[in-house]
Amino acid sequence: MSQLIAGYLPLFDLYLLHLGLAFSQYIVLRAGVFSLASAALAGIGAYTAGIFAVKLGAHPLLGLTAGTLTGMLAALFLSIPLARLRGVYQAIATVAFIQIVVSLNIYSEGLTGGAMGLNGIPKSVGTGSLLIAAAAVTYLVWAIERNRLGRAFNAIRQDEAVAASLGISITWHQSLAFAISGALAGLFGGLQAYHSYALDPNQFGFHLLITILSYVILGGRNSVLGPLIGTAILIILPELARPLAANRMVIYGAMLIVVINYLPKGIADTVIQQVRDRRLRLSGGAS
Amino acid sequence: MLAQQLLNGVVVSGVYALFALGFTLVFGIQRILNLAHGAIFMTGAMVAYYTVAGGGPLWLGFILAIVASGLLSVLVELVCFRRLRKTGDEEFGGIISSIGAGLVIMSIAQQVSMTQVLRFPFETFPVVIFKFWGLRVSMLQLFMASAAIILVIILGYFIYRTSFGRRVRAVTNNEHAAMLMGINPNRIYSQTYFLAGALAGAAGVLVGLAFNSINFVMGEPYLMAGFVVIILGGLGSIPGALLASLVFGMGQTLTIAYLPSGLTDTVIFAVLFLLLLFRPHGLMGKEEAGNLRGRR
Amino acid sequence: MSVLKLDNVSKHFGGVIAAEKVDIEVPAGQITGLIGPNGAGKTTIVNMITGMLPVTGGTISVAGNDITRAAAHEICRAGLARTFQNIRLLPEASVIDNIMVGFHRHEHSSTLAALLGLGSANRETRDMRDRAMALLDRFGMAGLAAYPAGGLSYGHQRKVEMMRALASDPQFILLDEPIAGMNDVESDALAEIFQGFAGSGKGVLLIEHNVRFVSRLCNRVYVLDGGRLICEGTPEQVLNDPAVITAYLGG
Repeated sequence: MSQLIAGYLPLFDLYLLHLGLAFSQYIVLRAGVFSLASAALAGIGAYTAGIFAVKLGAHPLLGLTAGTLTGMLAALFLSIPLARLRGVYQAIATVAFIQIVVSLNIYSEGLTGGAMGLNGIPKSVGTGSLLIAAAAVTYLVWAIERNRLGRAFNAIRQDEAVAASLGISITWHQSLAFAISGALAGLFGGLQAYHSYALDPNQFGFHLLITILSYVILGGRNSVLGPLIGTAILIILPELARPLAANRMVIYGAMLIVVINYLPKGIADTVIQQVRDRRLRLSGGAS
Repeated sequence: MLAQQLLNGVVVSGVYALFALGFTLVFGIQRILNLAHGAIFMTGAMVAYYTVAGGGPLWLGFILAIVASGLLSVLVELVCFRRLRKTGDEEFGGIISSIGAGLVIMSIAQQVSMTQVLRFPFETFPVVIFKFWGLRVSMLQLFMASAAIILVIILGYFIYRTSFGRRVRAVTNNEHAAMLMGINPNRIYSQTYFLAGALAGAAGVLVGLAFNSINFVMGEPYLMAGFVVIILGGLGSIPGALLASLVFGMGQTLTIAYLPSGLTDTVIFAVLFLLLLFRPHGLMGKEEAGNLRGRR
Repeated sequence: MSVLKLDNVSKHFGGVIAAEKVDIEVPAGQITGLIGPNGAGKTTIVNMITGMLPVTGGTISVAGNDITRAAAHEICRAGLARTFQNIRLLPEASVIDNIMVGFHRHEHSSTLAALLGLGSANRETRDMRDRAMALLDRFGMAGLAAYPAGGLSYGHQRKVEMMRALASDPQFILLDEPIAGMNDVESDALAEIFQGFAGSGKGVLLIEHNVRFVSRLCNRVYVLDGGRLICEGTPEQVLNDPAVITAYLGG
């Protein structure tokens, strides 16, 4: 029994790590920012934490704090130009940001190890730490959803003109969402660095972007359950059937097309809505 | 040296123009950013390679590549976007859906090519070098430049001189009004996607020949370059995309020639980033990049 | 007395004049009408007041505070609320959530408390919910609180938008063609609500197409045509003005 659990532990660790990144993607979409920058922000956090450990021999907690802060600052910096853009323009700008981060990373060999990656990071993060971090982040997102920030994010996402007419500052709230997104990405990037001995620059590129975007699209973009469910399904699915693992990207691709066309709200949001509709029908109100 | 670089830049620009014209055409008509465009480009190169590898002549490979890429592009529109347009969420949904399509196409190409880099057999395209005024021009470069120019002229003729083009432009301006005028937008969309895909496929073959290197991810750098070009030209603007291809092709050639090699990507994307910041509607686009979004 | 004031306000789009030297005063406690034929520039005026369009010239002030160049969300905080010509609710949200968003201006819990889900933020949410329920009760729609706003009837959606505007407790309300597409019974019900606004001391600017409705409700009416004010006065004065008759009948 314990052997069975131990066998699945790496998978569970991966789930927790990617859950944090999925929430980083989730929170910006929630606030109506079409940013795809989470992968790059995670890379920035991971490398900061990694460099703190390898070059400075810093304590993991210090490294993680540094990773979180640099992720957040990078996101805040990015939010300034993004505030002037909308929709596809934001998406393109953040993809450009990912490319800049990856290529600068490869170029700054002395600091980051360049294309060879950053090696020899002491492993100091286990399942326990990951579980604590993931639980804390889930709580944070859940708390935001329940109070005024969640309401403001919802209003901005659905109709910016209405939000502004109600006194909601779009720039301020979107910058806040960005800062949270950057901090989450930075933290979980850092955790990844301390969990895996080595970092590779291409680990935080377009591929990771697609992976975490898939979690959120499949799971749902408007409820804390979305990333929890989406990440779980996409991490477990390839394990259930080995042939699926070899074709992981075909699965992700086909899934994105099918879900966005036929289940555009994602699994969790669709189920929540159906439960709510049924309850309303049973209570039987007017119109 | 500089003159030689400029000459090379012109050739490169032609390829970017072929790629970006379809990209921007589709955006103009549907407000959809088709991120599968890079995979369609790659498909063109693959089809040409397998035609030649199977013993066919290059001209046949070229034609098959154009047709296959065009049809693939039509398929992408049908499968990925047609339903989304009805729900009105095509801006966000279109990006997601086309990322998905790109992944599927690339994965299939990866399986077919067994993750190998494919190379045309030696002398598939005759290696002939012309020299004049101290410049070196290969026959292939001449072919690339003339193919690009001819295809661009054909596209321009279609868009600006035929009734098809008038309908495309009518739908671009206002789908609803165009429908009232009896234009079937779905047919226009299919035709436009075919044209866009065909141009991308042609660009794929030219790039495959030029570098004699074809693999399943070869579309990605062109997709990224395509971003820069269509933003620079103004999303949806055909003359803008042409001009921007020239600026970008020249700029990139000179950057590679005169800057440290590792920094090329950084410079290109930093330029894109600054461009979005200061002139998001590009050289010839409409001002809409920063408008408050209404109901979605 | 508190007043919403447009002083010599102009808006040019390139060479096109959308509004030229417009002076309007909306006093508190009264309903002021703004009428004009289609394309007269009424919506341009609303958009300038609410900060959705930059003003080319002139000043706009609320109770003496200059809001000419203020951002849209700051203008709401100065005490101004609006409804939209085409009803704009948050379609995914429930009726009560739509109204709760309107209270944004009065939310004071700190960002940190909101992030961490502390008691103060949660209490505030409960409080806003209670106040939204009270509004729904007042408008006789408490039974619909949990329904998705997008599925309501047209008249109900109008009311939700009205409650949302009211939730911010504005000094002034701009109503952009609020009875468009409504039958007489529905518009009479809304007329009563508007009179209630004015009765409670709020200033109302009613932008309308329907001259009869405006003349019934308003103390003072402004007439806009081609971006210029062509007439102002009591409803009787305005309706008998030859320039207004020409503008409406075309001439």
